[in-house]
Amino acid sequence: MFFIRRFIVRLGSMVATLAVMSFLIFFLVELMPGDVAQMVLGQNSTPEGLASLRESMGLNDPFLVRYWRWFSGLLQGDLGESLYMRGVAINSILWRKVGHSLVLAITALLFYVPLSIFFGVVAGVRAGKLSDQIISFFGLATMALPEFVSGVLFITLFSVKLKILPITSVIPIGESLWGNLNILILPALSITIVMFGYVSRMQRSSMIQVMDSDYVRAATLKGLPRRYVIFRHALKNALLPTITIIGMNMGWLFGGLIVVETLFGFPGLGSLTMSAIKTRDVPLIEACVLFITFIFVVSTLITDTLYGVLNPRVRLAKGVD
Amino acid sequence: MNHNIILDVQGLSVNYQTYYGTVSALRDVTFKLKEKQSLGIIGESGSGKSTLAFSIMNYLASNGSTDGNILYQGENILEKSEREMVGLRGNKIAMVYQNPYSSLNPSLTIGKQLDEVTIFHRNLSKKDARKESVAILKDLYLGDAEGLVKRFPHQISGGMQQRICIAMALLCRPDLMILDEPTTALDVTTEAVILDLINDLKKRYQMSMIYISHDMGVVNKVSDNIAVMYRGEVVEYGDKKSMFHKPEHPYTRALINCIPRSGIVKEEYRLNTIPGYVRKRSIDEGGCPFLDRCGKRVENCESRYGLREIAEDHFTACDRAFAKDVADDSLIPKKVDVIEKTEDGEALNIVNLYKTFNSRGKKVRAVDGLNFSLKKNNVLGIVGESGCGKSTLGYTVTGLLKPSKGKIYFDGTDISMTWKRRSPEVLKEIQLIFQNPGRSLNPSFTIEQIIGRPMKRLLGIKSKTERRERIIEILKQVDLGKEYLKRKATQLSGGEMQRVAVARAFVLSPGLIVCDEPTSALDVSVQSSVLNLLTDLQQRSGASYIFISHDLNVVNYISDYIMVMYLGRIVEFGKRDEVTSPPYHPYTEALLSAVPDVDPALTKGAVRLEGAPPNPTKKIKGCPFAGRCHKKIGEICENVTPEPVGFGEIHSIACHLYSAD
Ligand code: SF4
Ligand code: SF4
Repeated sequence: MFFIRRFIVRLGSMVATLAVMSFLIFFLVELMPGDVAQMVLGQNSTPEGLASLRESMGLNDPFLVRYWRWFSGLLQGDLGESLYMRGVAINSILWRKVGHSLVLAITALLFYVPLSIFFGVVAGVRAGKLSDQIISFFGLATMALPEFVSGVLFITLFSVKLKILPITSVIPIGESLWGNLNILILPALSITIVMFGYVSRMQRSSMIQVMDSDYVRAATLKGLPRRYVIFRHALKNALLPTITIIGMNMGWLFGGLIVVETLFGFPGLGSLTMSAIKTRDVPLIEACVLFITFIFVVSTLITDTLYGVLNPRVRLAKGVD
Repeated sequence: MNHNIILDVQGLSVNYQTYYGTVSALRDVTFKLKEKQSLGIIGESGSGKSTLAFSIMNYLASNGSTDGNILYQGENILEKSEREMVGLRGNKIAMVYQNPYSSLNPSLTIGKQLDEVTIFHRNLSKKDARKESVAILKDLYLGDAEGLVKRFPHQISGGMQQRICIAMALLCRPDLMILDEPTTALDVTTEAVILDLINDLKKRYQMSMIYISHDMGVVNKVSDNIAVMYRGEVVEYGDKKSMFHKPEHPYTRALINCIPRSGIVKEEYRLNTIPGYVRKRSIDEGGCPFLDRCGKRVENCESRYGLREIAEDHFTACDRAFAKDVADDSLIPKKVDVIEKTEDGEALNIVNLYKTFNSRGKKVRAVDGLNFSLKKNNVLGIVGESGCGKSTLGYTVTGLLKPSKGKIYFDGTDISMTWKRRSPEVLKEIQLIFQNPGRSLNPSFTIEQIIGRPMKRLLGIKSKTERRERIIEILKQVDLGKEYLKRKATQLSGGEMQRVAVARAFVLSPGLIVCDEPTSALDVSVQSSVLNLLTDLQQRSGASYIFISHDLNVVNYISDYIMVMYLGRIVEFGKRDEVTSPPYHPYTEALLSAVPDVDPALTKGAVRLEGAPPNPTKKIKGCPFAGRCHKKIGEICENVTPEPVGFGEIHSIACHLYSAD
């Protein structure tokens, strides 16, 4: 009961957030310099042509009317048409790219989650010792390293020097992602580098806290072997905060994809957004940004719900006495 | 009986390297424990008693270093590797801790946490391990053991959790069991049950035991011998009867006299106090650890050091407890002159008071229909197990909570609202003193600011010099000097902080003070001085107290009236002596008999309460106590709510035993 109610409240606030965001996005894109009609017609436009195009695109209508037209379209699942590729429905471009990005995100997740948790646990258990210092230093260093720097380093190393992986992550025309899975590796590695420091430090500190708890002490003084105490008693409780962090960063991860995808030319949501911005493809920008927002909000909702389910103590409301 | 030595601690010292230098936690601790013997270790905070326990487990923080030997069955534990210790811990030497809730892993079932002990130490299969676990739970008289093993720790009560922890310690039939304040976090009724269980197990399992506590009464109940620790040293060691009736060390004697116990009440005695507080000990501070607080100190004391055997099995570091050359002044409870009381009118009147909380859609009746009044210039003690609503009542009176229904009158004025809506005159009249002074005093303020703020706001004293004069005056009344004005709360000891809290309350000359467990966080030696202080100030000012405490001895000492609460209702109300002597409400009787006696020569009737109070979200038809009552009459108790029956002027008991005819 308690959960369902909590979930419904969250869901409601999520929908509200999205609605407000859609307005903000529309408003901000509207502020972007440049005239859409001019952009469509390019150099050889005539004033008459521009005027009639503006009229036919409804650009002369008041802001709120245009917003409403767009928003009601959204509600029916219609994202509009691309400007740059005239007449192509955004729905037909966007979802394929989102699919690619998802595959990339999941690959990155499969890389960095086990890696950061493992090293975070090691560092936490050996807090203060040499191994911890090395891991912590590495974590800090990679956190400070932007994706485009590590990306370039990887390209130089694996593609230029060793020549074992492709320089760009472009899918050749006529082929699908599934036939070119090796293009995922370098972008996923770059993302891993960024997330590693963050997640492993989180894991380290929660591990230290749990190792210091009364129940881990009690387990040790029950005469259980250390390895067993760490894996069976400490780990499960120490994973909880990390899972939360990973979940909450899903949205952030998608934002980070923009840089990585652009760098590698990977055909995902990120590079789609970039090229939409470059070509001033207003409806496409709006659709992309809105979708990224959507991911942010949904991942927060899921994490929040998950945390309540995983942690029995969140549910325990204490009385006053 | 076989008298082999099972544990031989020789000259054990433990030091901690801290940021502020090396601190001495244990110094030259020496004692022997025989097979099947039980040793109680008594000490205030900072005595090193827990450090001693963890040293025996060879489990010290990495900044600790040890010196000396701990011989277990002739082998030095301190020289054993971590791997060798794994074989001993939980197997031969087992430990039970103060806080059962945090000592159990929240995400593993109870069964799992029990099974793993025998799986590792006795190489049992999972199936056999589970059989053992269920068997041991049954052995500890826990009904429905099969159901219990499937549950998680947070699904059972605190008393139950502690029994699980004890069962866990017993699984491998250890030779030695160490219990570190195992009942401190529990209600007195649960504590009594657990102590009985421990005594019973000690006999049945034939093991040695070390029982650590700050509570003389508790240690008394479960040990043969007692060691008194102070600032890292064992100052006296001996069998409990001689320790209690003829202590040799001044600290032992002073400590015993600090404790409020049956028969000691404020009209007759002032409690003994030990001046000062326990200071941390640096590594190079030698000599007698008690020197700065001792009332029997003489010139050549400083050099006295180390335990001596003064009689068979009785060791002490000093034998001046009854020394005649220094008068006994501070060591025995002093008779006080009876003060004539004026009591005109009622300070507090509570009519049909209810407070309900919402907990996930269910109603928790924390306070469930209270009616009582308190005369001016009187102390009303409120007792009951946790969850009985005593704190909630205190919060509604002080306005931290708003009553759900009913009225509270202070001196005739309706105050059934939160403090935000009360007038400044009322706010000034009703003050609150909390259990934890550290949390209720703003750490970034000086004492002058802490006491001065309410004076400015509620008394409207604008002039800083006038405020300062009054503050110095009130500080003097709580035995703190001028030098405290500029100190911050964090620089004070627990006892000093509570004095400041008392000063802050009294500077407003209130008519009513709600004291919510004001001495529970303090050491006994400090507790007694705060109790004396509260008593003096009350008698001088004529204010009334609502004094909430789980400690019946403390309530008995300070109160004029006592109210016993159960599940949000009053089960008994009356003058102190009326409540503490028959006729009793069965619940009062159980509470009183649960209090452990300080004097080992005394033994008390054994009414034991099993289980916990019923779920407060359920609507109760009959007597709330029916489920646990040892005197239950029958149907009527289940179906009819007992009304209070009057005995004499004020005394009333809500029980069918007395209304049956
Ligand atoms: S040695 Fe002196 S100061 Fe220490 S306890 Fe004995 S009498 Fe007191
Ligand atoms: S009414 Fe019955 S159940 Fe309740 S306290 Fe009295 S005898 Fe016990």
